[in-house]
Amino acid sequence: MHRKIIKRGFRAALIVGLMALISQSSSADEIGVSNDTIRIGALGALTGPGYLYGKIVMDGAQTVYNEVNAAGGIAGRKIEYVREDDRCDPATAIAAAKKLIYDDKVFMIHGGGCTNASVAAFPTIKEAKIPWVIFASVGDVLTNPPEPYVFTVALTASIESYAQLEFALQKGAKKIAIISQRDAWGRDRYDDIMEALKKHGIKPVADEEMPPDSNDATPQVLRIKQAGADAVLMVIYPKPATAFLRDAYKVGYKPLMAGTTALGDLPALEKQVGIPAALENVYAISHIRYTPGDADSQKWQALLSKYYPDEPLQIFQILGIGSAKVVVHVLQEVGRDLTRERFKAKMQELTNFDTGIFPGPITCTPDDHQCHKTPAWVTLMNGKVSTVATTTVTR
Amino acid sequence: MKRLLGCRAFMIILFSALAILPVVANPYLLFVGNLVFVYIILALGLNLLIGFAGQLAFANAAMFGIGAYGTGLLQVQLGLPFWLALPGGAILAMLIGTVIALPALRLSGIYLALATLGFAQFTQWVFLNWEAVTFGAGGFRVPPVDFGPLPIRSDHGIYYLSWIVAAGLSIFAWNAMQSRIGRAFVGMRDGEISAESLGVNLLHYKIMAFALSGVYAGLAGGLYSALLNFVAPEGFDLFQMIIHKAMVMVGGIGSIAGSVIGATLLVVVLEALRAFKSTQEIAFGTLLLLFVVFFPQGLVSLCRRYLPGWHEPMHMSGAELKPPKAIGPVRSDRPPEIEPG
Amino acid sequence: MLLNYAIMTGLTSGALYALIAVGIVLVYKSTKVINLAHGDLVMVCGFLAYAFHVQLGLSYFLAFLLAVACGFVIGLVVYQIALRPLMKSSVANVLIATMALSFIFKGVARFFWGGIGDYIPFPPIASPEPMNLGDVMVLPQQLFILAGSIVLMLAFAVFFKSTPLGKWMRATADNVKAAKLVGIQTERIYLLSFGIGAAIAGVAAVLMAPLTLLYPDMGFSLFLKAFAAAVLGGLDSILGAVLGGVLVGLVETLAATYIHSSFQDVSSFVVIMFVLIFMPTGILGSRGVRRV
Repeated sequence: MHRKIIKRGFRAALIVGLMALISQSSSADEIGVSNDTIRIGALGALTGPGYLYGKIVMDGAQTVYNEVNAAGGIAGRKIEYVREDDRCDPATAIAAAKKLIYDDKVFMIHGGGCTNASVAAFPTIKEAKIPWVIFASVGDVLTNPPEPYVFTVALTASIESYAQLEFALQKGAKKIAIISQRDAWGRDRYDDIMEALKKHGIKPVADEEMPPDSNDATPQVLRIKQAGADAVLMVIYPKPATAFLRDAYKVGYKPLMAGTTALGDLPALEKQVGIPAALENVYAISHIRYTPGDADSQKWQALLSKYYPDEPLQIFQILGIGSAKVVVHVLQEVGRDLTRERFKAKMQELTNFDTGIFPGPITCTPDDHQCHKTPAWVTLMNGKVSTVATTTVTR
Repeated sequence: MKRLLGCRAFMIILFSALAILPVVANPYLLFVGNLVFVYIILALGLNLLIGFAGQLAFANAAMFGIGAYGTGLLQVQLGLPFWLALPGGAILAMLIGTVIALPALRLSGIYLALATLGFAQFTQWVFLNWEAVTFGAGGFRVPPVDFGPLPIRSDHGIYYLSWIVAAGLSIFAWNAMQSRIGRAFVGMRDGEISAESLGVNLLHYKIMAFALSGVYAGLAGGLYSALLNFVAPEGFDLFQMIIHKAMVMVGGIGSIAGSVIGATLLVVVLEALRAFKSTQEIAFGTLLLLFVVFFPQGLVSLCRRYLPGWHEPMHMSGAELKPPKAIGPVRSDRPPEIEPG
Repeated sequence: MLLNYAIMTGLTSGALYALIAVGIVLVYKSTKVINLAHGDLVMVCGFLAYAFHVQLGLSYFLAFLLAVACGFVIGLVVYQIALRPLMKSSVANVLIATMALSFIFKGVARFFWGGIGDYIPFPPIASPEPMNLGDVMVLPQQLFILAGSIVLMLAFAVFFKSTPLGKWMRATADNVKAAKLVGIQTERIYLLSFGIGAAIAGVAAVLMAPLTLLYPDMGFSLFLKAFAAAVLGGLDSILGAVLGGVLVGLVETLAATYIHSSFQDVSSFVVIMFVLIFMPTGILGSRGVRRV
């Protein structure tokens, strides 16, 4: 008789204990939001070659968050930015996303570097119904068709590729050539350029590729020159672009060169190529708005140096700063009663928000989560960057 | 009590512990646990090839990729169900593994390593460029596996399937290495000429070694594709190969239990090192270096020294994996030259 | 004209691979160790040169010398700490140790210089402006790289043939026991070989950095091509390393120019695989002898 009571008592205690455990893990507050903290997750590469579009972007975002925290936070809460490494690898990205969502228990994700890693983590993030503001991944599949909680503040591959072709045509190009790199970043854009060309009924006169770590582009340059192209759409990173521009200059070939945001830092590219004259007819899309006097970028450089003294302001931190400003603005709009639903609702009605650093305003709609659509074209004139055009792309 | 501390008991305990993971763990830990199984299979296959058969091949990550792409594409391009696609991918990897065995007949040591490395680069190129079939650089999605009449969620299902396959392949490897196949492999590893002189058909067993490791890597790849629901060229490059190699070395070359230990430990350590954020590379490199300097025989050597019941046949105890003095070709049509003095 | 450019480009790209291959072969020849972290050593020396010349403002040649000296010291330290305990154990363990070093080098470089820029430029020896050579234009730095690899090759040919240290290295590589018997301090030889190999990495880094730019991940892809070139030439021949490098460069460039640029990367590996089938020890490698 006693044994039965003990057994029953034990069982009851077990059940109560388990229920207590379960109820502890689900709090009344929104996940990732406590009385004094908002936990935001950062998904991107911290190690490996992808770190430029991961860690360095996060450094920019962190600068904004640090400043916001120093000024008192948002509605009495400080932002805690938790980073997880995806190493630019699909499996690691899924693990990192799961860790952020289920282990670190973040409120939302502000991240997304390498496209393939983001695409791999996409279902995990979708399933958790957690807001995701993408800061660097350019894959269109992430926002087209739009997912309720996923927004991008990066210029997507399609936006930039269409803009490249438009720009070349505006400048009067008749024979168009393409030089691309064969990785996820390059292929996405390449496919979009081909689509754009088809829509215009144009066939490229040359279609060359080069490996992303190439040191020499003489074969590619010569083949394009032979085809007689007067405009080259460059879908390559700065390192292959350095080789390409150098070798084009070497053989005396000076067509219109239109690059993407990857080449947006033209002063840096000029130093990399080492020959200023090689950048004479080169245009790129810029993430930062360049205005005479440029107090804004000075200010951001100063702030960045406060927290990351070794880092000059580059495209990467700018991506982080701009997108973090958007996140902060939306969080402020939502206010104290912070839930994922309310974040999503405010994000999708964001209209003409000026980040203070991107060339154009940020606008999202319930049907269009590609919130940044204004590529600004820059070139070097007498060693200084000047903006030559700002276009808004509609497909 | 002695048996309790043995090899076999250890593996049983490990697998039992992992079996209850879906009940107690959050989705992140479940994912990591599933990865452990995939890498156990990979480490086993690689150890069979490098540790037991002595073939220094660098194509494991490529075979892993072929299995993943094979299983994924059979579903996506040809509409086969997962139950056919998984063995299909494994068979594809096995067949291609057999093809690599052919250069292995003429080359050994560093030269075999390079030839298989070249093959791995070529595989990477095919994944990237044969866009019509492989979808190129952007990869492709694989729909989650539907476990049909069984009332089990897709992720739990894949977890238990991986558990079953990993356990099954461990047992198979254990038994195979205790049989005459294992003896032939080890004979081949320790001295090709003497093995041949004892009647071991080198061609036969080399092909078998490559085919076997191909099947293992292929199955691991198929499970991986179902776990990620995504296949892209990135996951099968030389960095992967280094991880596989490290798992085999850390666990213990030439030891089945070693492969299981090495794989589990490395996956867990890589996840635990996340705490280091940006300095993960330095942490991982230092740990690996310390490990290899202080435990050159792998963790199994510790088990063997301190756990009285640990008995594993065919293991390399003290024997070194040095290649034959000269790195020469294996010309089986010419008698070996005899150096005077 | 196209062919001339292809050949010139092949030679100069090849010279880049050759420079690195020489370091790999030197270390292998003396210690039978393939240093998988050799490319990362080049990267670290390159960043050190950048630190000395650009960040600290030292003169170009002083920075060059310091980078090479640091390379030498790093080689010694790495050998002493990481590799000496492993020389007696298996080849595979040494490979893993060098892989581990590779991670450490990359992590350290990323920590110190990762935030400065995506690909950091380094000034060339002479003017960056291209110059005329016959009917093709070349960048002066490319000629320096070509000259550098030839000079290294000749210097080491003389070194191994005539100097005592060179002969001791050859003896140790040939037969360790016999070398010990005649009184050669083989441990010292291994240590020095590693140091010299790393010093060569330093030379390669400073010559190449203006063209390849500096970034933490540059090491492995350079290593891979250079290693393939070294094996093609025969792993124990320095002349073979240079020859292999040039051949790899030529094959790549010709494939990219005349077939299609997408074949550039893979063509060299395919060729090497085929060569190994017919010449398993590489073009100039010594024919192996199987000891029973």
